[in-house]
Amino acid sequence: MTNILLACSAGMSTSLLVSKMEEAAEAKDMDVRIWAVAQDKAETEMEQADVLLIGPQMRFMKNKYSKTAEKIGIPLDVIDPVAYGRVDGEAVLNKALELIDKK
Amino acid sequence: MNNSKFMDLLERILMPIAEKLNNNRHLTALRDGFLVALPLIIFGSIFVVIANLPFLDQLLSEEAYTAYQNALNPASAATLSIMGLFVIIGIGYKLVEHAGGEGIYGGVVSLAGFLILTPQTVEETSGVIPTASIGAEGLFLGILTAFLGAEVYRFFVNRDWTIKMPAGVPGAVTRSFSALIPIAMTLFLFLIIRILFGLTPFDTVQNFIYTVLQEPLTVLGGGLPATIVAVLLIQLFWFFGLHGQILVNSVLDPIWYTLNNQNLEAFQAGEELPNIVTKQFIDTFIVGIGGSGMTLAVIIGIFLIGRSRQMKQVGRVSAPAGIFNVNEPIIFGLPIIMNPLVLVPWLVAPVVVAVVVYFSMAAGFVPKPAGIIVPWTTPPLLSGFLATGNAWQGAAIQMVSMFIVFFIWWPFLKIMDKQYYESEQQEDAAASKE
Repeated sequence: MTNILLACSAGMSTSLLVSKMEEAAEAKDMDVRIWAVAQDKAETEMEQADVLLIGPQMRFMKNKYSKTAEKIGIPLDVIDPVAYGRVDGEAVLNKALELIDKK
Repeated sequence: MNNSKFMDLLERILMPIAEKLNNNRHLTALRDGFLVALPLIIFGSIFVVIANLPFLDQLLSEEAYTAYQNALNPASAATLSIMGLFVIIGIGYKLVEHAGGEGIYGGVVSLAGFLILTPQTVEETSGVIPTASIGAEGLFLGILTAFLGAEVYRFFVNRDWTIKMPAGVPGAVTRSFSALIPIAMTLFLFLIIRILFGLTPFDTVQNFIYTVLQEPLTVLGGGLPATIVAVLLIQLFWFFGLHGQILVNSVLDPIWYTLNNQNLEAFQAGEELPNIVTKQFIDTFIVGIGGSGMTLAVIIGIFLIGRSRQMKQVGRVSAPAGIFNVNEPIIFGLPIIMNPLVLVPWLVAPVVVAVVVYFSMAAGFVPKPAGIIVPWTTPPLLSGFLATGNAWQGAAIQMVSMFIVFFIWWPFLKIMDKQYYESEQQEDAAASKE
């Protein structure tokens, strides 16, 4: 199973993406767990994740999260603003899988 | 300098500021402290709303109405009114936990330190703590005490002046002793501070902080000019796709909450409300109309005038979340970020609304916020009604604000829609030729 963690300020706007990403995963018949958290929970939740994606409006968290992500050994990135605006679940899902593959 | 270079430059200035504001240890702890208090604040707010339901004062006899309010008031008096206590515990907990210590001791040492610095007499009667001191008046001192208390506690823990227990003693017992010396030293320091201030004309630290820091800052922060600056900063950060609200909140929340609770005290006492700008002024009347930039009015505008597929698509995606004041889809989707075309309405509309709401409240057309904290995801109209202590004018002014935002955006939306529409027409024409 692939675990994809999303983080933003309160976990609200990223949770919009979660359901779209789940739909995209279902269409591909993939076994995934996708969940969204507020910024203060992200570091503890990271331990259960294979990849962390940050909402673009919180991209100033990337440096801080990078340290924890490196320790745990998972990739992270900021979600593309265009895909974020469209709530494009498939694009973000593909991005997450690509990040995991590269690792 | 061309446009994109200028944008790059601003981004390079704003990003580090955003990173510093958001990740600063003390501001993070402050934000977490308010988060800890939030459920209690909301609980108390709900009971202020219920205690002041419309028409009840006319339905019930005066006696029954007073009895009804007296029965419900402890709910808010024990939570919302003294939110500072919970914020202190939250800050102390988070600061010490963040440093790898036992968070709960950071919480209690901060709370005890604050109580040591708090006046413990009311009009010559000793052994009592004035509720005002642990309410709005004490919020600044509480926050500073929590910062100092947690740091000093950590300092003594790091010095390792702890009592060592022999092996075999249960862990919980060891921990309770290991905290003893750091806690004692920290609180002793607060006691000395209290005694020293007793020798000054200020008498108490609370009085000192209130007079030299809290009062001037809240007067400044409660004014229209500072509010406009705050609103512009929120908008500017968002224009670069950075979460402006969370950044500005982390600095201004202590001021906005203090102003809020001053209003709450007056509201519950049936007195005239002192402040217009409060936490709710920002959260409900500026941001709470679809999110920062009051984008629900923009979404409505898109539905009314949008002809292009792109605009319609943005409207459809953004509307459901927009009703609950989550607006990332429209900010990134329209897009608003880095889009010079919408910069003017984006910056101007919230400022105009802030001025209109401010003067509507100053003139008495709309009641001032009653100190009730309405969760920021509450849909507009309902939120305005609740925030003003169940006044229909609160909803009406949000309606007016939406019209203002709509009219300021209208020409810009038209231009944008036309551009999208024309390029879509060209694409379609090209596609049908193939």
